[in-house]
Amino acid sequence: MLRIPPHHPIQLPLGLVIWATWFVAVYGGLSVSCALAAPDPAAGPLTPINALLGLLTLVVTLFLLAMARYCWRGASAPEAGEHAFIARLAGAAHVIAAVSTLATGLPILVLPPCV
Amino acid sequence: MTTTVQTREKVWHNPRGWRALTVVSHTNIGRRFMLTGLFFFLVGGLMAMLMRAQLAFPDQAFMSAEIYNQLFTMHGTIMMFLFALPMLEGLGMYMVPKLIGARDLAFPRLGAFGYYCYLFGGLILLSSVALAMAPDSGWFMYTPLSSDVFSPGLNSDFWLLGVTFVEIAAVTAGIELMVSILKTRTAGMSLSRMPLMAWYLLVTSVMVVFGFPPLILGSILLELERAGGLAFFDVARGGDPLLWQHLFWLFGHPEVYIIFLPAAGLVSTLIPVFARRPIIGYRALVLAVITTGFISFGLWVHHMFTVGIPKLAQAFFSVASMLVAVPTAVQIFAWLATLWAGRPRFSLPMLWIFGFLVVFVFGGLTGVMLALVPFNWQVHDTHFVVAHMHYVLIGGMLFPLVAGIYYYLPLFTGRMPSMQLGRWGFWLFFIGFNVTFLIMHFTGLMGMPRRVYTYEAGLGWDIPNLISSIGGFIMTAGVGMVLLDLVLHGRYGRKAPANPWQGDTLEWTLRLPPPNWNFDTLPTVNSRHPLPVFPGHNTDASTEPMPSWLPDMSHGRRETLGCHPVSGKPVSTIHLPGNSWWPFVCALSLAVLCVLLLIRAYPLAAASATLSVALLSAWSWYNGPRKAHALAPSDPDQPPLHFRGLDSPGLWGANAGLMASGSLFMSMLFGWFYLWTVAPLWQFPEQTPLHWPLLTGVALLCSLAAWGYRRLLTPPKQGLTRSVLIIAGAGALALMLLVAQIRLAPLAVREQAHDAILLVMLLYLLMHVGVALLATLLQARRAALGLVSAELSYELPIVRQLWRYAVLVAWALLLVLIAFPLSWGVY
Repeated sequence: MLRIPPHHPIQLPLGLVIWATWFVAVYGGLSVSCALAAPDPAAGPLTPINALLGLLTLVVTLFLLAMARYCWRGASAPEAGEHAFIARLAGAAHVIAAVSTLATGLPILVLPPCV
Repeated sequence: MTTTVQTREKVWHNPRGWRALTVVSHTNIGRRFMLTGLFFFLVGGLMAMLMRAQLAFPDQAFMSAEIYNQLFTMHGTIMMFLFALPMLEGLGMYMVPKLIGARDLAFPRLGAFGYYCYLFGGLILLSSVALAMAPDSGWFMYTPLSSDVFSPGLNSDFWLLGVTFVEIAAVTAGIELMVSILKTRTAGMSLSRMPLMAWYLLVTSVMVVFGFPPLILGSILLELERAGGLAFFDVARGGDPLLWQHLFWLFGHPEVYIIFLPAAGLVSTLIPVFARRPIIGYRALVLAVITTGFISFGLWVHHMFTVGIPKLAQAFFSVASMLVAVPTAVQIFAWLATLWAGRPRFSLPMLWIFGFLVVFVFGGLTGVMLALVPFNWQVHDTHFVVAHMHYVLIGGMLFPLVAGIYYYLPLFTGRMPSMQLGRWGFWLFFIGFNVTFLIMHFTGLMGMPRRVYTYEAGLGWDIPNLISSIGGFIMTAGVGMVLLDLVLHGRYGRKAPANPWQGDTLEWTLRLPPPNWNFDTLPTVNSRHPLPVFPGHNTDASTEPMPSWLPDMSHGRRETLGCHPVSGKPVSTIHLPGNSWWPFVCALSLAVLCVLLLIRAYPLAAASATLSVALLSAWSWYNGPRKAHALAPSDPDQPPLHFRGLDSPGLWGANAGLMASGSLFMSMLFGWFYLWTVAPLWQFPEQTPLHWPLLTGVALLCSLAAWGYRRLLTPPKQGLTRSVLIIAGAGALALMLLVAQIRLAPLAVREQAHDAILLVMLLYLLMHVGVALLATLLQARRAALGLVSAELSYELPIVRQLWRYAVLVAWALLLVLIAFPLSWGVY
């Protein structure tokens, strides 16, 4: 996805689409995991489900930040011109998506998954 | 060649009398949407007043519980489905071409069709009140209360069929606005120069396209369960009532922002004008709007915090609910900063903006409170939620809407409103609103539940309810005053001078009121502020004379510029269809179908459905270019007609329509997996009832058809008719295999949700293959007549998209219904 030019208009929604996909994946993943193999509530947040969801959250956040950097670099290229508007905006949208991913995923650290 | 005013009037003429039903101009259709929305608003408001009269005193017998149930259901339904969104979409349809420098929307006839669907759907829904059969299960129609067991009459059917019909209008308007904003902007209007209102409407229309299909699916499933006995929401047969809640709120929460964003667009348009300086933070606002559009889709479960979802899942939605306040706050700070840095004028529209800022911020803050799970549990289903919801919806939508109506009144009628009457209207409404709903927060905190038709004296709710009722009637007086102002100004209002509010956007270059074609020649813009009304802030505006476009109308075509979606560079001349009976006739035919389904006259409904398909096909046939028009020489100084290329507005419209269908399909897949994992009595049969060779055959044949179309797009196109007929043959075979699959599968759709949902998915694929096949057959005939050829090939990529989508669905079903369950060993 980093190969899509930073000024391509698809970059504008792309980061938030990734956030939405991550959101569905963690919500769906949690529900399915709990239906299949709910861990002991006494284990608290220290469960394989939390570990997997947490790892996914971290990977997606870092990927989104990398995309933001890619777009911002593209925006400052001398030939960017009118396209700089889209690249800058897309970079900011990717950061917002990264922050949203991290913030929404924070409860994974403290709550048991299936209670 | 010089085009006279008479020529322009002839080309854009709107007939009167009964032929006015053929009018498709965005100005007329937008106005009709708004006037119809106003009518429904008054009906919904009257219902609210009846409810407030009932609740004014304890133990009242002014109305029965049954009538009260119907009133609160219809009040919510009317205000959400028949007033708020149609009103804003109507305003969008009226304004968008004027804002972006176009003569009309991209699909004028689709707009007219949407309007009639809305009108007929609304009337069907409202007729239930006259027949004393109004829906009474709440505007969210929760199952099992709305199921045939607990609501055996036609009440819920009126809702399900009427609202679905209205939603067609919403989706068509969404598609039309999206494509128009992306493809019909005037020369030079790049994305970075687009008015903020266009950004807001663009995001809203994308949200409509994705947000409405989950509810359309839910309504279809519930109606199938009620009328056909299929099992989707019945626990005993493997369904789950919570599936309805998910589908409803997947639509319902974005809907709040779908209503809020266009209204916020009005705020972002008005504040710079009245602050007399450009908006501060244009980019931040665009970013905030896009972010809001997305995050609002991740909040739906906060309406379901009490249904027993694990706390971790609740926490995801709780955080997302708080996150959405951030982009909203960014907008509010940008508006305040603009006011702070400018020289604000307190004209009438600004009064309503002031009201918006106060009321909406308050409603937003109680929204953050409700995002907190423990607090949400505490006030769940109390009047606190009712108060919050009205602060958000009236504050976030109605206040800016009235501000926008006052602002654009000179454009609508050419006259100015009365400041005196307008101020009275505002203050009565503002005071009445806060008296009603501020106190209602406390009524809720004191424990009064929603949706109860009366209460005992002595519980502490007597005085607050009386105050709320008095406030309600003061607010109604405010509405009356505003209406009086609007009615009287048409006759007694001062004639509006040019650009009366000193606006900076293109609509204020028009005559007041504007002609049907908006612009005599389409302008070139080189700034976010085409009108230099902000001294010292138009530094990017060039003083060079700019070229103007499409001055000639002597050819008799209705035309507007087609642009590159990013740069705004003109790439084509879009030929717009003129007045027509087709939208009205097709909508009427669908309304008849809707009524026949409602009264369960199924043989007649089948005939009506066939007629509707025939009429829609005929419309598509006559909507295409006539050869003389399409091949006529065009002005060499202007961009070529869109018939000559492959990237037509029709292709964008088809893609947008398929995105809506894709959203419905995703909702269907969600339903499948949801019931599989969550429904307590879900059962897989011992063997899959599907025959995988048949479904694989369907997928392969659809792939073949899509591949065939791909080859047609590469010239030369000799033997076009024969090639299209071969593709149609492959499509027909796919259709036959699919019918055989459905007939051969031993589906017990009334006994098991598993089989019922399987059937619905197969029928969905059947519909898509059928539509693609029909379009292909029509195209074969068009190719034989020379209406589709090497020179006129713009229709080919549109039909190709239909096949590509059918391919996607076919392979997805093969994977999800057969391969995936087999790999889990459930069969």
